[in-house]
Amino acid sequence: MSPWRRAARRFARNRGAMAGAVIVAALVVVALVGPLLTPDPLAQPDPVRLQDRPPSAAHWLGTDPFSRDVLSRTVNAARVSLGVGLGAALLAMTLGAGVGLAAGLAGPRTDQLLMRGVDVAMAMPRIFFLLAVFAVWRGAPAAAVLVLIAATGWFQTSRIVRAVVLSLRESDFVAAARALGERGPGIARRHLLPHLAAPLIVSASLDVGNIILLEAGLSYLGLGVRPPAPTWGNMIMDGKDVLLSAPWIALAPGIALVLTVVAFNLAGDGLRDALDPRAAA
Amino acid sequence: MLRFLARRLLFAAVSVAAVVLFTFLLVHLAPGEPMLGSAEGARVAPAVLARQRALFGLDRPLPEQLARYAANLLHGRLGQSFVLHRPVADVIGAALGPTLLLGGVALLVSLLVGVAVGAAQAARPRSATDTLLGVGTLVLYSVPVFWLGLMLLLVFGQALHWLPVAGMTDPAIHDALSPLGRVVDVARHLVLPAASLALVQAAAFARFQRSTLLESLGGEFIRAARAKGLPERWVLLRHALRGALAPTLTLAGLSVPYFLAGSVLVESIFGWPGLGRVTYDAIFARDYNVIVGTALVAGVLVALGNLLADLAVAAADPRVRLDR
Amino acid sequence: MLLAVPLALAACAERPSPSAAAVRRNTMVIVTTGDADVLLPPVTSVTTGINVSDLIFCRLAELKLGLNTVDDSGYRPVLARSWDHPDSLTIVFHLDPRARWQDGAPVTAADVAYTFRVYTDTAVNSPLAPFLGQIASVTARDSLTAVFRFRRWYPDQLYDATYQMRILPRHLLDTIPDARLATSAFARAPVGGGDGPYRFVSWEPGAQITLAADTSWFLGRPGIARLIWRVTPELTTAVSQLLAGEADAMELIPSRAQLERAQASTRVRLVPYPSPFYAAVVFNLRRPLFQSRDLRRALAMAVDRTVVVRSVFGPWADVAVGATSPMQWIWSDSLRQLPYDPAAAGRALDALGWRRAAPGGTRRKNGTPLAFTLLVPTSSPPRQQAAVIMQAELRRIGVAMRIEPLEFTVMDGRSQAGDFDAVFVSRTIDPSPSSLLQFWSAGAASNVGGYDDPAFQALTAAAARARTRAAAAPLWRQALERLNTDAAAIFLFSPRNEAAIAGRFRDVTIRPDSWIATLPSWRVAPPGGSPGALATGGARAAAGR
Repeated sequence: MSPWRRAARRFARNRGAMAGAVIVAALVVVALVGPLLTPDPLAQPDPVRLQDRPPSAAHWLGTDPFSRDVLSRTVNAARVSLGVGLGAALLAMTLGAGVGLAAGLAGPRTDQLLMRGVDVAMAMPRIFFLLAVFAVWRGAPAAAVLVLIAATGWFQTSRIVRAVVLSLRESDFVAAARALGERGPGIARRHLLPHLAAPLIVSASLDVGNIILLEAGLSYLGLGVRPPAPTWGNMIMDGKDVLLSAPWIALAPGIALVLTVVAFNLAGDGLRDALDPRAAA
Repeated sequence: MLRFLARRLLFAAVSVAAVVLFTFLLVHLAPGEPMLGSAEGARVAPAVLARQRALFGLDRPLPEQLARYAANLLHGRLGQSFVLHRPVADVIGAALGPTLLLGGVALLVSLLVGVAVGAAQAARPRSATDTLLGVGTLVLYSVPVFWLGLMLLLVFGQALHWLPVAGMTDPAIHDALSPLGRVVDVARHLVLPAASLALVQAAAFARFQRSTLLESLGGEFIRAARAKGLPERWVLLRHALRGALAPTLTLAGLSVPYFLAGSVLVESIFGWPGLGRVTYDAIFARDYNVIVGTALVAGVLVALGNLLADLAVAAADPRVRLDR
Repeated sequence: MLLAVPLALAACAERPSPSAAAVRRNTMVIVTTGDADVLLPPVTSVTTGINVSDLIFCRLAELKLGLNTVDDSGYRPVLARSWDHPDSLTIVFHLDPRARWQDGAPVTAADVAYTFRVYTDTAVNSPLAPFLGQIASVTARDSLTAVFRFRRWYPDQLYDATYQMRILPRHLLDTIPDARLATSAFARAPVGGGDGPYRFVSWEPGAQITLAADTSWFLGRPGIARLIWRVTPELTTAVSQLLAGEADAMELIPSRAQLERAQASTRVRLVPYPSPFYAAVVFNLRRPLFQSRDLRRALAMAVDRTVVVRSVFGPWADVAVGATSPMQWIWSDSLRQLPYDPAAAGRALDALGWRRAAPGGTRRKNGTPLAFTLLVPTSSPPRQQAAVIMQAELRRIGVAMRIEPLEFTVMDGRSQAGDFDAVFVSRTIDPSPSSLLQFWSAGAASNVGGYDDPAFQALTAAAARARTRAAAAPLWRQALERLNTDAAAIFLFSPRNEAAIAGRFRDVTIRPDSWIATLPSWRVAPPGGSPGALATGGARAAAGR
């Protein structure tokens, strides 16, 4: 049985991990299909009479201070949150893997340069950088938020990748490939990537939750994705003033946010346990 | 040991310098005008603006501004705040204490709670306790810190009246209290913001502690101790916990950026007069010198955290060669 | 075990000693969302800095509650015991010989002359300097007589001479170069340097500023012993502090949701007072579309401003009667305004050639749809909300208004550059009606729509020359009506300010331009009074007209 199949079997036996995976899958479906079924999240059908209305048949999760449908906004915000979370995690993984491979395979001088650069970058307080950029660039599109979060989040991954590469570089099969005249990129693709896949998948899946929380924090401060577009963070900001009189406005995105992050962490934990048997309890 | 320390310190200095350079360029190259009033319809006369820019040297070419800033920095001067009309060092100095208090207490509490919870889980893996604590830490770990802060404020501050809602001291009577009374006063104000920061991080520590403990419980060393017939609890406490503590301490050292990020949100929710709020205000007011100054301090704190993490690893694990 | 510490701290809830309770009772904790910048009147530019320094430093004379800026009777003496007008270009102030600096030195005419020099020195860069442009000189005739010379005669001379400047202590400041005043130690801690009802005690940056009553103040001891400004950046938290009894007062609560929270509380009561703001949708009259007066009038008549105001603010704002607010003495609720009459608006558009092909569609003329874009700042949820309601109302008569939300500085930049169709502005006005000129006279920097009407110019020029309020008022009002009927803008709302004040404070009056102007005469009710009685008694807001 291949190691991947064994890992899949271990994952399937882990009830928490399966629950996480099912929720993630459901969220992805909601994010893809939901916006097609719900009304326009920016529409303000009756700004005069529909402010802060509690849940009803017409508006299942009620309406917000601008008479917008909370369910529709929550569902549409899922697209932003999941999109930014998954996209930034994948991009960061790619960047980290690229730099880590380059450092591990190149000569000692390049390696030193890259890794010292990564060390310095890790000393940079990420939130300060993001706050400064988005305070200047108000109303940045979601894609920019995604790219900037990824650009400031790949450093740890590059370290992990480099460590794995270094440990494999001197191994027999890489030496054999070298002897047969294979060049760096080929070696990386054919011999190193399979070994890197497991740690990369685990770190990326655990990263998604953190990125979603980071994006929500930025939105809560009124930064990041441009306001009329719904995000869970800015929905919580809209609803916090009426938290006691109209709790549904902030609770719906709050619960969605926590549920999403929990699901990604459950699935990430499960992946880690399944792919790295030593860590399994 | 000394050589190791010197190397790490040198590296810390370089990384702080890089942070400062990067932030400096970022704020100065960003579009926008720092000296404009924000009041609608209130126009700042061009002459006033020009004088103001000249006063702060903002009309000079960027390399000259950078050189001047660097020279000042080497003399320990951080410049003047545009908005607050006072030295940046004073602004940051006043805010640093509250932030260190909040962050320090939160770090300590989260470490204690995190290690204790992680150990309790690892003592009986897969038991009901483990599962319950596991679900609890997972959920806490997934809660946005600003959401937790808002909830704690509304429930314990406003609804139940158990604790003060905001600030660091009682405004009206703090100065009239006895020294002990003042400590209690600050401590009472500290509970909610520190709890908001600490609970989330404690969950992270607990999750990490549990898995490293389980890993080391599987180690040969422990199997030997068990074989010697030592009681299970003893094994856990003496041997396993000791082995797992170093990674957790490392994680604590590396968690400084988290506390800084959290402080921006928590300090603004609870009106805590710290560095996070100074940074937030400065960024929105485009107060360049204060932004660069706070980045400098944040960089130093992060570098110190990294250094402590390195030392913790070195101290706990003799196999780490200090002169690497 | 770890839970024990916070629980014990919670249990330590105050059991105040009688003296601590008295200190608390006689202290007013004012919660504010922003810290002060400096406490030196010529350079402070943020609300908290202005409020705090206003209580430390006095003016020569103060406006009374009615804010009548024209007549001498509208002012009460403060540092100046009296004043007279020897000729039309001169005002002579006679200082009160009892006035003392807090370090004991007397307040003299030399201080007044020094103050004028500081306010107008370009090295100080005071934002108030432009308002002093009509004053040619200020000199000291003798130690208690200050002479103001004006460049020309106008009715607001006394206003300009007294309102903009707070007198500074020359003997403490003249060793400091003017350019360094803003960064001097005195600007952050004016110890002993005030001449007002309160003394500076301490300032913990980002946390709080403390003032103590000057018990020997020459105009009588203030009623509240200590004032503390408490900085709480989050509005939600600030209101929570009021509700939890950690703070006693707030200048104004700017959100409807928070107002409703405060209204439900028994600890604080809301004291309404007219605000110095109005919000309006300004048309860019340089655009061909808006050069048609009839079209602008039709748009204005299609908007039911009452519905807009009630649905955005509930009861917490008034429909604007024009380019004024109830704070100004020219305000009147009988000003002529365009009625809400969508049917007439539709007929007017038909007559102009803007016709609907089908009911519910957008009007067109020669194939061009009747459409324009409204700029709205993202920083203002009420304006965004109001814009959406207007959009719906205009759609009903076949006008397509697109809303473009912009970051405030971007919107401001575009409106200054004239790069817009219509812009949703909020204007902060002075007590003096001459602020009308600042926003609507031809060529004025803040006249973003480019309104240029000879009749309006003539009316305001005559009003500004009128010698008495009685003569000026009808002229100003005709000018406002001219603006309304010309529909240079749709004047939508004037939010009502609501101060929140704890129940134990009595004799609370509020002058709309500065909520702490009358604070020295507020009193603390003796302990033991029933809070219910306090909640209804005592509060009286200046009507401001």
